[in-house]
Amino acid sequence: MKKHLVGFSAVALLLAACGGNNGDGNNTTNDGSEASSAEPIELTLSGWGSSPAESEIFNATLEKFMEEHPHITVNFDVIADQYMDVTRTRLIGGNAADVFFLDAFEAPALMETGVLEPLDDYITDDFNIDDFEDPLLEAFQRDGATYGLPKDTSTLAMFYNVDMFEAAGLEGPPETWEQMEEYAQILTDSTDAFGLGVVADLARLRYIAESKGGQIATDNLASFASPEVVEALQPIIDLKDAGYAAVPADVGADWGGEMFGQGRAAMMMEGNWTISFLEDTFPNLNWDTAELPTIDGQEGSMAYTVAYVMNAESEKKDAAWELISWLTGPEGMAEWTGGGFALPTRNSVSEELGLFEDEIRAPFAEAAAYATVWADDTNLPIINNNFNNEFLSAFLGNKSLEDALQEAQDVANREVE
Amino acid sequence: MKKISVKRSILYVILSLYALVTLFPFLWALSSSFKSLEEILTHNMNLIPQNFTLDNFRFIFMEQPMFMRWLFNSVLVAVIGTALNLLFNSMAGYALARISFPGRKSMFILVLAVLMIPGQITMIPNYLILNQLGWLNSYHGLIIPAMVNATFIFMMRQFFVNFPKEVEEAAQIDGLSRVGTFFRIVLPMAKPALAAQTIFVFMASWNDFMRPLIVMSDQSMYTLPVGLNQFKGVFITQWNYIMAASMVFTLPVLLLYAFFNRYFIKGLSLRGDK
Amino acid sequence: MTPTLFTIGVFVLLPIIYAIFLSFHQVELLGGTNLEFVGFDNFARMIDDYRAGIALWNTFQYVIIVVPTQTLLALVLAATLNAGLKGEKFFRIVYFLPTLTSSAVLTLIFMWMYNPEGAFNQFLDLFGLPTYNWINDPNVALFAIMIMNIWATAPFFMVIYLAALQDIPDSLYEAAELDGAGPFQKFRYITVPQLRPITSFVVIMGIIGTFQLFDQSYIFSGGSGGPSNSTLTVVLLIYQYAFDGIGRMGYAAALAFALAFIILIATVIQRKLSKEETIY
Repeated sequence: MKKHLVGFSAVALLLAACGGNNGDGNNTTNDGSEASSAEPIELTLSGWGSSPAESEIFNATLEKFMEEHPHITVNFDVIADQYMDVTRTRLIGGNAADVFFLDAFEAPALMETGVLEPLDDYITDDFNIDDFEDPLLEAFQRDGATYGLPKDTSTLAMFYNVDMFEAAGLEGPPETWEQMEEYAQILTDSTDAFGLGVVADLARLRYIAESKGGQIATDNLASFASPEVVEALQPIIDLKDAGYAAVPADVGADWGGEMFGQGRAAMMMEGNWTISFLEDTFPNLNWDTAELPTIDGQEGSMAYTVAYVMNAESEKKDAAWELISWLTGPEGMAEWTGGGFALPTRNSVSEELGLFEDEIRAPFAEAAAYATVWADDTNLPIINNNFNNEFLSAFLGNKSLEDALQEAQDVANREVE
Repeated sequence: MKKISVKRSILYVILSLYALVTLFPFLWALSSSFKSLEEILTHNMNLIPQNFTLDNFRFIFMEQPMFMRWLFNSVLVAVIGTALNLLFNSMAGYALARISFPGRKSMFILVLAVLMIPGQITMIPNYLILNQLGWLNSYHGLIIPAMVNATFIFMMRQFFVNFPKEVEEAAQIDGLSRVGTFFRIVLPMAKPALAAQTIFVFMASWNDFMRPLIVMSDQSMYTLPVGLNQFKGVFITQWNYIMAASMVFTLPVLLLYAFFNRYFIKGLSLRGDK
Repeated sequence: MTPTLFTIGVFVLLPIIYAIFLSFHQVELLGGTNLEFVGFDNFARMIDDYRAGIALWNTFQYVIIVVPTQTLLALVLAATLNAGLKGEKFFRIVYFLPTLTSSAVLTLIFMWMYNPEGAFNQFLDLFGLPTYNWINDPNVALFAIMIMNIWATAPFFMVIYLAALQDIPDSLYEAAELDGAGPFQKFRYITVPQLRPITSFVVIMGIIGTFQLFDQSYIFSGGSGGPSNSTLTVVLLIYQYAFDGIGRMGYAAALAFALAFIILIATVIQRKLSKEETIY
């Protein structure tokens, strides 16, 4: 047994030594020679799962790409769950897809470690990169290099239940934060729903938290316990304390769209993914959308964005770029975002699709111009985790907001150092 | 006699109450698999679907072009994996319980120690090893690493430890070898333990999600749980399909369990001491 | 035995040895492994880790409550369903259902039962008992997970006990009956002692399983271990270190071995208490 153990540890050391940085021998063929000919190339693209209707549109978009680029076959590999864990594991093993989805939230850690291919050398003038919304593009840039091109974006706006508004004698959605607080009270009193549904998650609340001049993170450290952030978030806690707001779990819902669809919230700040969900699942619900209420006269919302990135170890980089540039080019983007599940990241495509005229989708398209992008630096996942962990306590009245955030900030920063 | 029947009735009442606690969630999941997503989300707990629909099952069976392939993969991996586990775990458990060899005690401690390390930390090393061996995206990459299971080696050992030694000694006097004794005498006596092991190993393989998710990257190599989870979106969960899929998963294991239950009934065990 | 040794060696021991190696390094595996030998730093760091202390305390409470409860429940259920009652088969199948139900479905069911207006609170209300916000109240969230876990795990061990009960010679019970023993005495003086090796298995596996609790607390808290760290378990913390942020894999591995060591101690204590190893 001893002898075996020695053998094993030798192999272990060997593995450790070459664990991360190998492309692993078995497919070390030509690098870059494929662009010259029409030799068939197989690309792997990986992403996460989605609703059947959404997958259908995405697959149709890929089909169209393959029709126009007959020498390339794209295998779309859906990672059904734990997307980042699986992707990281595959990257470490040198087996990740040639091109894959990457959320802006997770991007800094991957850009930092050098597993992504910088795209600057591929981007030509005709690609017209200036057409992209700057904040969305910046989420995938680091130290002057661009590592990903945003495939689409989603923003938050207000969903409100028209029937409940009528029952409460309210006309139209609230325009200011103060008005919303007032409406929340009226709606709670005159219907059997909560006035406002709140998702108690930093990803949703960040623009509110930063509305009074504070920052949730400064220099990659948590700074959400600052008086400005506490002041900005306090109104939400007060609404909950008064019984006018609730989180989805309070009514046994899994997320905001469910709570709103069940008729348990009269107003809900949710993303544009909720539109098709409500249309498909609750066809009889009478609802509308509006831009989020202004805070101190300032417009605000959150934007979530996902990019296509290229694996630095891909052996088919030119073909991978063909795919990325087509999907994020005007044609591919219009094809995909025209399905109505996510918003385009190119201004020209937003205009082409007429999103600003679409009554339901306009508030989301408008928000893209002023929304805070959900991205920061490598420590955002840790900062986010600790915030969510304690904010809920304050929300439920177990702690003062100030104490809860101070504690969360201290723990986060101790964890980071 | 009267007193006993009162006691019996109380016992039945308690048993039935507990049965409700275990049955209700299952029945609710079953009925939900015949509901639309709207109904699942709004009429929370009703057991009888208001608008009975087969759409969820139709979606799973018909609109997933790879369904049969995924089913085949799942069955193949689960059946071969279970057979290998039964053989190897039982042999190892028997060796640890009955055969004296140098280092037996340390081997046993090793088996236990292995169980104590959380899998989250060995996931990446495991992947790297499969990668080095070139076993990713293959059936053997899924089957071989899981063909021995420390939990069930341990379980089998605990069963064998309890067996009367006399039967084996008699067999050996009759001239059976170690191997012969194991297969002809010991294994038949261990039928209830083997039945339990079969159910659990099969169930673990059948429901396993994380390992195939990482190992298999090609759609045609997915197992059912991985394949049928693709419609779980980032923001939106399609509970109607999940409920239907969970019924599809549950049924084979339930049948297997019902079948193997015959080995858990007194009178069928092959012990000579009735 | 050779394939067994091979499999355990390559797919079980080798990854563990690799993880041991990592635990002595500051390491980022992504993008060309960056290794820096740090000796015992990762282990020393635990002492100052505020959340590790909370995670350990939560996990400890969990083990102390769940292991005895699920073991006893499994044993009683198995013994009752082995007594030759009418309808025994039906009960056996129904009782096994929780173990069969997939964790995604379980989560949804329990989210609904546990919400402030859900079935659970309605039931408590019926008897005039206090109601709670089961999932979001830091004081009870862990108990909510405990209840769900006992409910889902007990049937697993029940089946193992059912199998083990078949191996108890009937002659023992017959002899006891001749001596005038009632059902309870037979259970106490024959069933329980005869099942000792299996109970030892059930308890040790229970200890290991509960110390390694991850899924339910991950799902219930959305991965954060909240509210206020009340559902943070050691393995959830290990997972957060291994997968959130960068360069923390070594520390995660060190925590994993510290946990394994604690489980080992708990197991040794259990074995001392149960004296099962006299069988050697």
